[in-house]
This record gives sequence, structure tokens and C-alpha cells, in this order.
Amino acid sequence: MSFPLRSILLVLLSSTLAPMLPAQSSGPASQLTFNRDIAPIVFRSCSTCHRPGEAAPFSLLNYSDVKKHARQIADVVRSRTMPPWLPEPQELKFADELRLSDADMNRIVTWVEQGAVEGAPADLPPAPRFVQGWRLGQPDLVLKAEKPLILPPEGTDTYWNFIFRLPIQQTKWVKAVEIRPGDKQYVHHANILVDRAHASRQRETDPGAGFGGMEIRIESQGFDPDSHLLFWKPGTIPYVEPEGMALRLDKGTDLVLNTHLQPSGKPEVIQPSIGLYFTDHPATKLPMLLQLENDLKLDIPPGEKDFLVTDDFTLPVDVDLMAIYPHAHYLGKDIQAQATFPDGTKKTLIHIPQWNLNWQAVYRYAEPVMLPRGTTISLRFSYDNSDANPMNPNHPPLRVKGGNRSTDEMCHLWLQVLPVNFDAANGDPRMVLQEALARHNVEKNPADFEAHYNLGAMLQARGNLDAALVEYQAAVKLRPDDATGNNALGAALVQGGHPAQAVSYLQAALKARADYFDAHYNLGFALAQQDDFAGAVEQFQAALRLQPQDAAVEANLGAALAEMGRYADARAHFQHALLLDPTQPIAKENLEALKEMNPR
Amino acid sequence: MRRAKFCINSMWLGTVLAVLCGLATAQQALDLEGHAVNPFAAASGKPVILIFLRRDCPVSGRYAPVIQKISNEYANRATFWLVYPDKTDSPQEIRKSVADYGYHLPVLRDPEHALVKLSRVQITPEVAVFDRDRQLIYDGRIDDWYIDLSRARPAPTTHELRDAITAATAARTTLAQKEVRGVGCYISDVE
Repeated sequence: MSFPLRSILLVLLSSTLAPMLPAQSSGPASQLTFNRDIAPIVFRSCSTCHRPGEAAPFSLLNYSDVKKHARQIADVVRSRTMPPWLPEPQELKFADELRLSDADMNRIVTWVEQGAVEGAPADLPPAPRFVQGWRLGQPDLVLKAEKPLILPPEGTDTYWNFIFRLPIQQTKWVKAVEIRPGDKQYVHHANILVDRAHASRQRETDPGAGFGGMEIRIESQGFDPDSHLLFWKPGTIPYVEPEGMALRLDKGTDLVLNTHLQPSGKPEVIQPSIGLYFTDHPATKLPMLLQLENDLKLDIPPGEKDFLVTDDFTLPVDVDLMAIYPHAHYLGKDIQAQATFPDGTKKTLIHIPQWNLNWQAVYRYAEPVMLPRGTTISLRFSYDNSDANPMNPNHPPLRVKGGNRSTDEMCHLWLQVLPVNFDAANGDPRMVLQEALARHNVEKNPADFEAHYNLGAMLQARGNLDAALVEYQAAVKLRPDDATGNNALGAALVQGGHPAQAVSYLQAALKARADYFDAHYNLGFALAQQDDFAGAVEQFQAALRLQPQDAAVEANLGAALAEMGRYADARAHFQHALLLDPTQPIAKENLEALKEMNPR
Repeated sequence: MRRAKFCINSMWLGTVLAVLCGLATAQQALDLEGHAVNPFAAASGKPVILIFLRRDCPVSGRYAPVIQKISNEYANRATFWLVYPDKTDSPQEIRKSVADYGYHLPVLRDPEHALVKLSRVQITPEVAVFDRDRQLIYDGRIDDWYIDLSRARPAPTTHELRDAITAATAARTTLAQKEVRGVGCYISDVE
């Protein structure tokens, strides 16, 4: 019995001890030198960020740079603070892994302990060459934030969102996005969100200046799920999407850059740019972002050291898992996700034993991970709300719940998946996935407003209007004063041919948010359907004040005016609608009708 | 050199000689014009606070507003100096850095680490607090804001520099800890 045990022990010992000895050494006393032993590691693992213009605070490009920080480097590689890489090693490999091997780590530590000797010039490998400026060459379109943010010298971390208004006139396909966050030393990470309906603009008090906030939600119209993780952190090499997986950007789309900024001790001017690289090839493969979460279970008593939150979702279709992005705030401790395959085998998708919000990242798999239908993805996040967690925003600790502020907590796991092996006849597999996920969320938390709302939206998009109405009604019951919920229920009732029932919900939406374009538009529509054209005109005019360039509103306003007999006014609005969008069908048709009525 | 060595070995000499010794080595610190400066001479009996910074140390940078707040608050009761121990920093580079961070404090270069040795500091940013009798009563971190190089608390929970200044300006000195190492960049890396 003891023999196999001992042999296992021996294997373990040799695997941990072997790296202690430098590769070229004949014994532990051999002298390591920068030029021969250390430069290759530094050039590969440090210099990418530690060079002028990049995110790291000082350069590590040659012996004297490294010597000036030698003990510090030994400390941070030993503690694995540097290079920054949070996940534990695992079977499913990530692309661009920054983690140092044990052997390299030990070489650096030994070299510093031995006195950080330079060595023979002949041993020095060629200096690394870096692409200056845009990493992927000159982008097809460069956008710069309209107004800079002046980051104050002190205070807590700042979360700021810059809105980029795309100046494109027709749909473009994007194969890569390069984020240049401004002065990289002060930007911890940045994330692009695609805002197809100008949902973020209303949050800017000064147009072009952006707005604060750590977590932002963007409403979308119809089923158009986010599909790409557009993320920057120090050292990120821009990611070129695989063939056929381009990101669609339409005229009028906004890109919102969500940045996490850290004061430096002096005022800093932050004015990010983004570079877009287009392709002629429209998307043929449609990935989507799946979100596992359980924020409603986040109710962490003060002093609790190990508060566990889980979520388990079983896939209704086969997918290729491309990338994973876990997200928690300052109480996050041990972050894990696991896949349990239909045959019962388990694989770790990611394990971060010591979460650090400052180094959060999107992790892409080196190869897509095939997860067949019936695979259960499990999230297990633990949280430390005790004083032993030095990152705790509250001292002494307070009860913490889920929420969007940095002092609230979060439990999110984003997965970029590409549905595969599906039968297109059964509909868009992304809809199947999204509906299953929405249903899962409703079952998980029946009192979750968003879950009901999202399931309603999904059912509506799939044409199941009666079921959608049930979910919207449940949502509005949970939050009777919510603008979005009331508007969705009202819109669904209009769509279902119940304009009279819709009015009170749309009015409730406008009571909650007076400048709600969609609700004005929908209410105008509902009133027009009940022949209240004066009321409709009023609503369409209100909508137009909010979005003066909207051709559809112009056309509807014209139609309501025409119904009231105000033909001249109607004609002017139809013409303006066609000026904005020469293909606007209602305006076109009605203008023709007006001409026939009055050939002049 | 001999004098410095003598200092370290002279365990029995007591306060007076130790102070003399401190003065002698301190004279090797230079102002940005290159003149030798004794930071204790101009203190006119007030406590002296030496604040050690590295230009290339991001933690040093982030502490600038904290350092300015504390030095403003105690400006009448103590004398503050910024000390740059990296001998490869030129006076021009230091001048620019001081202006960027908006400091209004006198600046010393300490290329031979005379003040570093006198102050026993090891990291930037760390401080040394000398009382009216020029006794080193505290050396180390400003507060516990940083946990390690990748993590800082939302706000510090201890305030060693303030406590030490209070102790140095009070009649009786009662400090819990005379030395608490900081988080930042090693001074020995720029020897």
C-alpha cells in the first residue's frame, strides 16, 4: 500500500522542486544573469506593458530598468501580483495567458537574491520590438471622446462612461475594435457596450461629456442580443473576431465606453479613442452573450466571511464557448464556474481563488469549448463581508445587497457562446437560448422584475404575444411605477389589438419618465387607433421634441394630422420624414394619397 | 564613510552623539541647486518630517494629495521635506515631478542615502519623524491605505504619520509602534 503512495509523493516533490533550479544550471549555486536568464522572461512577460506610453507605471526594457526595481519585482512575481493573471491553471486553456511558469518565477527570485547580476553582453537576446500607435495598423475609423474627463488627483476610484456617436451612414461590419483609453496608467479597465437605441444619451447632462456610473444598463428594441465582449485592460492586444463573426454597427448606433479610472495623485486628462476595423464580410455566425447571475441572492450580513451564491443553467442547444467574463465587486472572494456534461463529467471553466476587481478581465479560450445540449453551467461565487477583507468598502462592515453602485455587490458571469449543430428550421437558436435563460431566471426568482420583463420581451420577439402579456403583467405588478415595464406592457397591448387597455399603462410610463420617447410614440399610436387624433398629435409632437430626426414619428404625426383634415401640416411632416429617410413607407404612401386627393 | 561606520558601531554614545552623527551625515543631502543642506538646521526647534519618494513609484504619486493635506495641516508645528533617494534622478526631473503633483514643500536629493540611513526607511513612500530633540521617533508608512501593490483600501484605517507628528509635537511621546513598513518601491533598488 505504501509503495504507490510514496511514488506519488516523489512525483509531486520533483515537480515542485525542479523549477527551483534554473534551466542552464549545474547546481543551485550557479550564478544567474540578466542577459542570459532573466531578459527573455522580462521581454516576454513584462515589457509589453512596462514601456513608454503603456499602462504600467515604469519601463522594464533593459538591465538598468529592471535593476532599479529588482527587489520589488521579486516580491510581486513571488506573490503572483505580476504579471496580473487571476485564474488558476486548468485543463481548458486560455489564450494570451500571462501567468509566469513556476520555473520563470523562481529564476527571477533567485537572480535577485544572488545580487541581480547583469552578465555577459553576448548573452542578451534582441530587444523586443513593439508596434507603435494602433496595434493593428491605422483603423478604418477613429473616434475620440468629444469631451475629456478631468480625473481629480485624489478620491476613490471613478467609473465614467463616454458615448461615441458613430458617424457612419450605412451598416458596417466590424472585425476588431481597438480601445485606446487615454492615459493608460490611470485606466484600470474599459468595456464597450453597443447602444442601438440611444438609451444612454439621456444620462448625459452635458452632451458629449459622458456620465458617471459603474454598471450601466442599456435597453434594446426587439431581439438583438449583445454578441461580443469588447474589453480593454492593461496589456490587451486587440482581438480580431474569427471569420464570419463580425459585429454589426448601424447608422445611428452609439458605442458606450465604460471606464474604471484610478486617481494618480495629480489631475489627469482622460480622453479615450477607439479605432474600428471594418470587414466586407457580414456576420454568418451569430454568437451571443449568456449571463448567469444571482444578484437577488446577494444579501450579505456584516461580518460574513464566506457567503456563497450559486446559479445553475442547463443549455437547451449545443454551443461553442468562446470567452468567459466573471464579475463581482469588492467583496468577491472565490469565483468559480464549472461545466457538468450530460455524461456527468465536470470541467472547470474558470477558477479565481482570490478575486480582485482591479484586475477583472475577459478570458478567451485558446480553443472554443464545445458544450453539448444538456450541459449544466454552474456559477459559485463566494463573498467576504468581514473586516478581514481589506477591500471591504465599509469599515466597520455593513449589510450589502446586489446593486449597481461600487459599494453594492454583483454576481455575474458572462459567457460568449456560439450556437452550433442546430436546425435553422426551429428558429434562431439564440432565441431558444435566451428564452430558456429568461424562463430559468423567472423560476429562480419569481419576484424578479427583470426576469419577467426579459421573458416577456423574448416571448414577444418569438411571436408569442399572449404569453408575453402574462410576463409583462407580472413585471408591472412587481413594479407598478416602472417606466420600462409599463411601456412594454402598453406596447404589447397595442400590438395585440387592445389600444384602450394600453393607454393607462403608457400614461403610467410617462408619469414615471416624462421624457420617454418610446412611451410618447406608443401612446400616440394607441390614441390614434381609438380615433383620438388630437391626443395622438400631442404625443407624436412630444416624441419629436425628444428625437427631432426620427422619420417614423414624423410620418405618424403627418398621418394623425391628415386624419384631422390638416392636410398642409400633414404634407410638411411627410416631406420632412422623407428628407430624413427617403424610404419611409408611411410617409411615401400617405404623400401619394394626399396628391390623389388634391392633385395640386 | 568612516564617520557613518563609527555611528553605527557606537551603541553607548547616547542621544547627544547620535544627534551630532545625524547632523554630520545629513549634510550630504543636496538641494536642487546641488548645495549641501542640513534639513535640521532650518527647523528652528520644530519636529522634522522627511518624506521619501521615488519619481517612478506610482504609490508615491498617489500619496501626493495625502502628503499635501497633512503637511498643510501641521505647517506651523513641524518642518516637512520631500526627499528623493534615486541618484539617477536629475534636479530637472525632480523639479518637474514636484510641479506636476503641485507640491509646495522644500525638496532634497539624497544620492548617497545619508538621510535614508539616518531615517531607517526602506520603501517609498515612507516617512521619518524626528522630534524637537532630533530623535527619530517614527519611521515607516504614512497610513495603511495600501494592502499590497495591487490592492488599496477604500480609505486608510490607521494614520501612523499623523500619530507620530502628534507625538512629536506633544510634551510626552507615546507611540504604539515606532516602525511600520510601507507598501511601495524599495529604496535599496536604487542604491
